[in-house]
Amino acid sequence: MTAGEGQPFQEPDGQPLEDVEQSLQQLVLESPDIKGFLTELAILASSRLSTPGNSIHSGVTVMRHKRPKAVAASDAAAKALDELQNGFGQGPCLTALRQGTTLLVPELAAETRWGAYARAAARHGVSSILAVPLDLAGEAEAVLNLYSGRSNGFSAEDIATVEAFAAQAASSLRLILRISQLSEARDDLAAAMHSRTVIDMAVGAVMAQNRCDRETAFSILTRASNTRNIKLREVARTVITSISGEQKITAYFDE
Amino acid sequence: MNADWTGGPDKLLEADQQRKDVARRFRNTQVPMIKLWTYYYGLGGDADEMSLDAYLNEALHLPAAQVGLIATAMRELSEGED
Repeated sequence: MTAGEGQPFQEPDGQPLEDVEQSLQQLVLESPDIKGFLTELAILASSRLSTPGNSIHSGVTVMRHKRPKAVAASDAAAKALDELQNGFGQGPCLTALRQGTTLLVPELAAETRWGAYARAAARHGVSSILAVPLDLAGEAEAVLNLYSGRSNGFSAEDIATVEAFAAQAASSLRLILRISQLSEARDDLAAAMHSRTVIDMAVGAVMAQNRCDRETAFSILTRASNTRNIKLREVARTVITSISGEQKITAYFDE
Repeated sequence: MNADWTGGPDKLLEADQQRKDVARRFRNTQVPMIKLWTYYYGLGGDADEMSLDAYLNEALHLPAAQVGLIATAMRELSEGED
């Protein structure tokens, strides 16, 4: 991707991007389930639209930390094209993503927008591009990108097909995101219950040993954590182990 | 949950400044509010989520002990990143 190197990331129109839930975007990028789902989507779109003499390359880009990232693709060529566009920080797919509407570039050579990117993509053999955003109801932002080596590579029927795909995929994806978010919240809560149990025990132990109140006990533990750069719950665990020799404190937590 | 400011105006000024710093640090992290609250609760925090939210929006003061735990939670969470 030499063409994209050294290009500063920039907003083509300086428009501020909407703030989105960061953790959800992270899920889209890191969950193997979601990545697999998006790859399937890209492959399906590509194989459904490809005809002899007009092979379609398809990829999915997700916004993360306000920057686009190519997460899934039907093949290496599509991934390379998505990364090329993301490297420039501008292009039809990113415009579609920002506007939230389908965008068709029937003839890349005649395109005046996205100057440097359009020329670079043309050098990679792209002649027409179709970009369809996935409506994730503000939970994250994603766009399905399709590239064709032919001018006017996408018919009106193709566009309708891809839009129908994208709508179905988005509703499934919203559900996956919601479930992932809930299961992450549950895991966090389980970890918190466990951590709180250990810390509460240690606070009680410090109170008994030092004949002090809870607040003072907390500040003794926090100071130890800060000065030794050890997590508070590790300090608490050390305190308990030193008193009773217990290595493992468990807190039962279930739905 | 609001702290009792018997320490005089200097103490309140100090708490304001500290809260401002904590709020700024929170805005600069990518950590969602619910994640921070859950972690802070796991450290033994007593404030509810709405009070934490209000504190980080500089709309409420919390007792010094809670402020210490919020700061600890943010530090430990950001250590977990990257």
